[in-house]
Amino acid sequence: MITNPERKLRVGIPRALLYYKFSDLWITFFEQLGAEVIVSPETTKKIKNVAVRLAPDEDCYSTKLYFGHAMALKDKVDYLFIPRFGGSKKKYVGCPKFIGLAEVLRSMIPDLPEILMPHYNRGMDKHTRIGLLVRAFRLGKIFRKNPFVRIRAISRAFKAQKFHNKTMIIDENILRKWENSEVILNDFPIYNENEKQLKIALVGHSYVLNDPFSSLSIRSLLQSYGVDIITSEQMPRNLIEKQMAKLEYDIYFDFEREILGTIMHFIESKTVDGIIHLLIFSCGPDSIAGDIAARLSKRDSEVPLLQLVFDELTGEAGMRTRIEAFVDMLRRSIDKKVIFLTEQVRI
Amino acid sequence: MPLSFPYVGTFTYVFESIARGMKRDDIIVPDEPTYRTKQLGSQHSSEFVCTPFKMLLGSIIEVIEKGAYEIVATVFVDYCRLGYYSPLYKIILDDLGYDFDLINLDWFNKIEFFTSFKKLACNVNAVQAFQAFRVGWIKNRYIDQIDKTLYSYGAVEIEKGASYKVAHKLYRQVVETEGMKNIRMLPKIIRKTFDDEVEIDTEAKPLKVGVVGELYAVVEPAINLDIMRRLNDIGVITETPITFTRWIDLGQRMNPFKKWHYKACIKHAKPYVRYPLGGKTRESLGAVIEYKEKGWDGVIHLYPFTCMPEIISRSILPQVSKEHDMPVLSLVLDEHTGEAGIQTRLEAFVDLLERKRNDGNGF
Repeated sequence: MITNPERKLRVGIPRALLYYKFSDLWITFFEQLGAEVIVSPETTKKIKNVAVRLAPDEDCYSTKLYFGHAMALKDKVDYLFIPRFGGSKKKYVGCPKFIGLAEVLRSMIPDLPEILMPHYNRGMDKHTRIGLLVRAFRLGKIFRKNPFVRIRAISRAFKAQKFHNKTMIIDENILRKWENSEVILNDFPIYNENEKQLKIALVGHSYVLNDPFSSLSIRSLLQSYGVDIITSEQMPRNLIEKQMAKLEYDIYFDFEREILGTIMHFIESKTVDGIIHLLIFSCGPDSIAGDIAARLSKRDSEVPLLQLVFDELTGEAGMRTRIEAFVDMLRRSIDKKVIFLTEQVRI
Repeated sequence: MPLSFPYVGTFTYVFESIARGMKRDDIIVPDEPTYRTKQLGSQHSSEFVCTPFKMLLGSIIEVIEKGAYEIVATVFVDYCRLGYYSPLYKIILDDLGYDFDLINLDWFNKIEFFTSFKKLACNVNAVQAFQAFRVGWIKNRYIDQIDKTLYSYGAVEIEKGASYKVAHKLYRQVVETEGMKNIRMLPKIIRKTFDDEVEIDTEAKPLKVGVVGELYAVVEPAINLDIMRRLNDIGVITETPITFTRWIDLGQRMNPFKKWHYKACIKHAKPYVRYPLGGKTRESLGAVIEYKEKGWDGVIHLYPFTCMPEIISRSILPQVSKEHDMPVLSLVLDEHTGEAGIQTRLEAFVDLLERKRNDGNGF
């Protein structure tokens, strides 16, 4: 590495997995420390091909894509930022792959730039919140010696993340308004005349929902079919916790709570026309939550549930047909509270 | 109410003796998993859930069909799916319309653990129940001893299959022995029986291979296609450090001087994987170095398909193997794994080890 005082240190963040949850936190933190943040480009076919060739065969599709994103950054940055993240809540854990990812990459691709891998695990290793700040403070030393600059960077980063969460997660009032078609939470659906307005809950991991490549741009597809969606990321947390308390056992995978809670909420409240659950092939937590969701939906089957499994071999045409068929099925179902639109509504 | 439990390798014998010690006469001993067990399990579970889940589900369905009502299961919150097994079994079996009661033994939730333990030990008082448990963990040591002796005698026996016959006789003897005095005699009997009844080839210089990996994949012959026996048949001594001892053997756990194999392994694995991430990831990595230091010839790493923590160790194992010059064979197992494929790979691996030993330094 050339140490040129003029040049900013470059930190690479792969645009995959946890990036979609904590992007604001990480980018603000490094930018405040005076580093140049380079995020890998959106997933493309080229990245996928590199990823599938490099990654271990049995990893889940999203983890494989991570390898491709890391390779895309390999020669462009001084540091790669791959945190070993084991969950941010007491009692709940993330996926073990999040903890092992940095070390697997270091072992499998020897000529990677230096990997910054702070370890934080509140669930199992009982790290405290202060521990997180201490780790961030220590990490910042690579970029700036001045402690005040580092503290400022940390506080601004957390503020940015808080703002991100606040804008992302809606409260119950807004949810009620959405259910009554008063507001629209995502892209405006393209309605056709005399067509039944549909509401669908799109449920899945944030790194599937927000990555058009790995979800085969399901969001824009639904938008073009005139479907108004709500994603599991946006669901109010208290509703999810309420649903989770109904189960006899604890769902201890943190991100899976959000997914299962959303499905259970809509199965119970019946305020949407259908639920689409996006699963990633060979994702461990998904296999459990998917099975529970399918069985709960079978027991109370008023709201149809479509489960789609994605992997690197999933064809776009097949997926499109299934989504189209599902949407058609929802349109034709007999519903008392049907809303027909005669002209476009603007908000 | 008839009591039963899913089949988990030779640990089934320990279960059986604990249940007998609690004076439960109504136990239904599970059968060894067969092709039908695999089919039943995978038919009723989700597509890419891990293989132990499917196998245990199949085993549970089979014991319910045999008439069991109370079924012992375990909940173990870790980084992996293990903690969901029991809740999901309940949902699946409810949907299938079976009449049953799952008894969860959750060690981390002490109150629940003791209430469900009490449910199991309904015929005896607390002291007798504890005594039964103690006898169980002591018998577990001897079952482990039989396994260990078997896997080394099996490689050098002259009449093929003799030691397996002896072992099966001894397993039953361990289960049926009563009274602490008699139980304490067992290690001597085991050693003597093997010495007397198995004729071994003293001239042979067998290869030594350690088997590590995910717990169920290592201990259950039905999923690993009896890999230990296959290795024994081609003249290789095997050993596995992965047994149930570390969890249920409270006697050894309370002994501060006991040297645990897995703790040494975890120390070795520190440069590769620093922090715990579930399963036996660090142990599998460290075991390669541990066996190298012991002078063994190779390591076989077993893990079930889609096992999350073991995929990580599988990805890092090539590096460990290279840096320490220790051959490692990783095998992924699921309910479709074919015998011929495993056999070919094992033979190739053993050939490689033999050549490495004869050449001194490999190729």
